[in-house]
Amino acid sequence: MSDDWVSQKERGTPFALRLILWIAQHLGRGFARLFLYPITLYFLLIAKPQRMASQQYLNRILGRPATLSDVARHIHCFASTILDRVFLLADRSSEFEIKRHNPEEVYNLIDQGQGCLLLGAHLGSFEVLRAPAINERKLPLKILMYPNHNEQISKIFMELNPEVAETVLPLGEMDTMLRVADAVADGKAVAMLGDRAIGSEKSVDCRFLGKVAKFPAGPMLLASVLKVPVILFVGLHMGGNRYELYFEKLADRVVVDRKQRDADLQKWVQRYADRLEHYARKAPNNWFNFYDFWDKDA
Amino acid sequence: MHNLSAKELEVAELIVNSLNLEDIRAEEIAPDAPLFRDGLGLDSIDALELSLGIKQKYGIQLRAEDENVNQIFTSLSTLTKHIQKNS
Repeated sequence: MSDDWVSQKERGTPFALRLILWIAQHLGRGFARLFLYPITLYFLLIAKPQRMASQQYLNRILGRPATLSDVARHIHCFASTILDRVFLLADRSSEFEIKRHNPEEVYNLIDQGQGCLLLGAHLGSFEVLRAPAINERKLPLKILMYPNHNEQISKIFMELNPEVAETVLPLGEMDTMLRVADAVADGKAVAMLGDRAIGSEKSVDCRFLGKVAKFPAGPMLLASVLKVPVILFVGLHMGGNRYELYFEKLADRVVVDRKQRDADLQKWVQRYADRLEHYARKAPNNWFNFYDFWDKDA
Repeated sequence: MHNLSAKELEVAELIVNSLNLEDIRAEEIAPDAPLFRDGLGLDSIDALELSLGIKQKYGIQLRAEDENVNQIFTSLSTLTKHIQKNS
């Protein structure tokens, strides 16, 4: 079940999290990064389902059997982007070299007062989009996410930057999408992640890395109802302090024929999945779905 | 079958049509059953589509800022009352 990640018990205790946070804030990023090695090793040893999921994904994208050190690098990349959220949220973007590709895809729309949907994935860091956007006050942004996911860690991140926390529109409420409609009508950009099909949510089958996987239909359905442009975004961690933030227009309008709604939606979501694959291949270790992504029964 | 008032039936038809519901006919919607989740099983995107349908047909704008929006969308009966009051 792909919704396992929601219920998955968070690993690491609040104390350990607080300790790492203290180290990051007082001893700096370089020093805190040293701790990523033992953390990676710990997860490599203890988190078997995640390790298997990593291996399964890496086998596909690398086109060869993944080694234990491939998996270690994958986990290390994941841990790095989580640690970096601390610095991004604390408005220390100057620690990073963030290269933005085609940001005008979004800014031009916002300047015209046109709201839009930003569609991302659990590929790389969404914080590299969000925190600088809020801290620099350049992009009116809301982000749709499930509340309480990774509860301890979200609490800590919220304390770090309450203003960024306020950008969250909680998913799962009856009026969630009405809020999105209001935000978009106000000329805001609403970001969401479109790669995890959860529970009973409507999904469509798309090819990803050569095999069919379930993707949520919600984001494209929402775009078709709102009649607004959809822009893909991914913030890839390229090692060290380097991030590459890509924007790419997926659609000016997502047009779905009511008579063949599912088939039309599938085409749009497949377009998203294809571009996701393109970016995943640029930086394979940025894929942060540590569960059986291709599970048929999900 | 349920005893729907004429207005309830009209709103029920709007629900079925604007959401393209195939498994249920308008007259089969129980007036007091929940529209979302357990009842008719609508989701948040359905709520949005339905609100657009209501705006189109009755000129009534439902926004998330309206504090009672959850209450309005509780059931066919509450939704119909809101529409009657405001159109």
